[in-house]
Amino acid sequence: MSSIDLISITALVRKVQSDLPEIEAKMLNESHVEFVTPKEKIRDIVTLLTESVQMLFPESVIGIDLEEDKYEVIYMFWSHLNNFLCQVRVSLDGPDPSIETVSDIISGLEWHERETHEMYGIKFEGNPDLSLLLLPEELEGKYPLRKRFKTDRSRLAESGLPQPKPRPPKGGATE
Amino acid sequence: MSPDIIDETTEIWFGPQHVSAHGWAAKLTLVGDYVVECEPHAGYFHRSAEKVMEFRNFRQGSLIMERLCMLEAFLAEYPYVTAVEQIAGLEVPERAKIMRTIMMEASRIHSLQFWWGQFSAELGFFAMLIWPWVDREWFLNAFEELSGSRHAVSYNTPGGVRYDFTEKSISVLELAIERMESNMSKFEDMLMGSPVFRMRTEGIAQYTAEQGIKWGLSGPNIKACGIPMDLRKDSPDPNLAYDLVDWDVPIIESKEHPGESDAFDRMVQRFKEVETSVDIIRQLLKQLPEGDIIDPKARSKANRLPEGEAYGRVEGTRGISTVWLKTTEKAQTPYRVKIRGPCFNSYYSLKHLVPGVRFADFIVVFGSLDPYPGWWDR
Repeated sequence: MSSIDLISITALVRKVQSDLPEIEAKMLNESHVEFVTPKEKIRDIVTLLTESVQMLFPESVIGIDLEEDKYEVIYMFWSHLNNFLCQVRVSLDGPDPSIETVSDIISGLEWHERETHEMYGIKFEGNPDLSLLLLPEELEGKYPLRKRFKTDRSRLAESGLPQPKPRPPKGGATE
Repeated sequence: MSPDIIDETTEIWFGPQHVSAHGWAAKLTLVGDYVVECEPHAGYFHRSAEKVMEFRNFRQGSLIMERLCMLEAFLAEYPYVTAVEQIAGLEVPERAKIMRTIMMEASRIHSLQFWWGQFSAELGFFAMLIWPWVDREWFLNAFEELSGSRHAVSYNTPGGVRYDFTEKSISVLELAIERMESNMSKFEDMLMGSPVFRMRTEGIAQYTAEQGIKWGLSGPNIKACGIPMDLRKDSPDPNLAYDLVDWDVPIIESKEHPGESDAFDRMVQRFKEVETSVDIIRQLLKQLPEGDIIDPKARSKANRLPEGEAYGRVEGTRGISTVWLKTTEKAQTPYRVKIRGPCFNSYYSLKHLVPGVRFADFIVVFGSLDPYPGWWDR
């Protein structure tokens, strides 16, 4: 391995604030920082993070449905060498939310984006493969983790499963 | 290979009916018997755990979590439990912290024993399938003695643990460790001493630490490259007891290919992991204090949580597993749970690791990453 360059969490925050002043930084605790990022700057911030933090570990992409066509995406990264977590939070809105992909910058997030797409309908523009990952074909385009996707019997007909028999009247069935 | 074979490609589905493909399938494109493209397919086990958990209260959620990976049940349920504890502000008693850590390490050993058997069988060493699994039974006995259940133990709960140690449960656990230790050298000889085993695993699926981290690999898959990336050491959880123990992160520093790991290194790494876990358990058993095993206010505090967001993480057997939890004010159920299984990325990385290996070695690449379908399908 080549030489190790360490960067402290405060130095990272300073660097982000000087390079990308649109981005707001919040310290969640002493080793966890959040960057609230406008949608257009997502590739810039992820590029900056991967360039300034060596061996940045892509932990997760978290999609959240805030209802009324508002969504959030959180990208979670961890640095083992510097021992801090950093998360990038992006707000999206509209009936067809979309954001640019970062999977070509850090490939470990490719499937996380793919999963978030099938579950929430958030389009990651430029992701090489946004086909279904976990869901069966019947649920394509239904986005089951959105809050408006109901899981009660009201959707049973859609699923193609047999309808339950109606309950017999009280006192037993009479013919 | 004759030239006419090189031009032709063949597509083969590995799984889901294949014996080694227990719940997954990969589409392989072959030229001759070399794999040139691998497309892993997921979803055969998908039970929408994240959506189901939105309709279960905070104590029930951990029961779903442990079912994602029954082999490391104590570890699998922990990230959710700790995320709930963070939002609820629960304080875990000292005794519960140590008991949790002991059982999580026992779970790690048990899971690794399962892996030895499975990996050896995938390579055709069927004697090694049964022997570690016989020792594994002793760990299952210890779990049964403690919780009444062999697999779905439901041990960790917000605020502490559900079942207290008894003299008998400690002695069964110690017996399981002793049995395993007495057989460990035999297993090491059988695997590392076998020239056939070495030929099948050395130089297969070799990657550098930088590549591995970029693909999102963690746990033993990265430690085998010589990087001590281990959450137990890096960010010791205040609700666990790793800081009470004197231990070092087990890593492998290969002389032939420094900074890289192949399938053989990762196997050796998993033997080292067991030694560390045994060491941690022995040290903690000596320090076990008397006292409560659960926060007395756990039941009322975990019933309704304040609004908040929390991120629970644990160093599992297979790597880093995390849970991101969002709650709304006075809610009885989570607003959003996002589970990150370590194997989600291990399975994804097959796409990068497999091209170039021979078809017979595909299962070696897969097995050496120790993936478990429950973790990626959820």
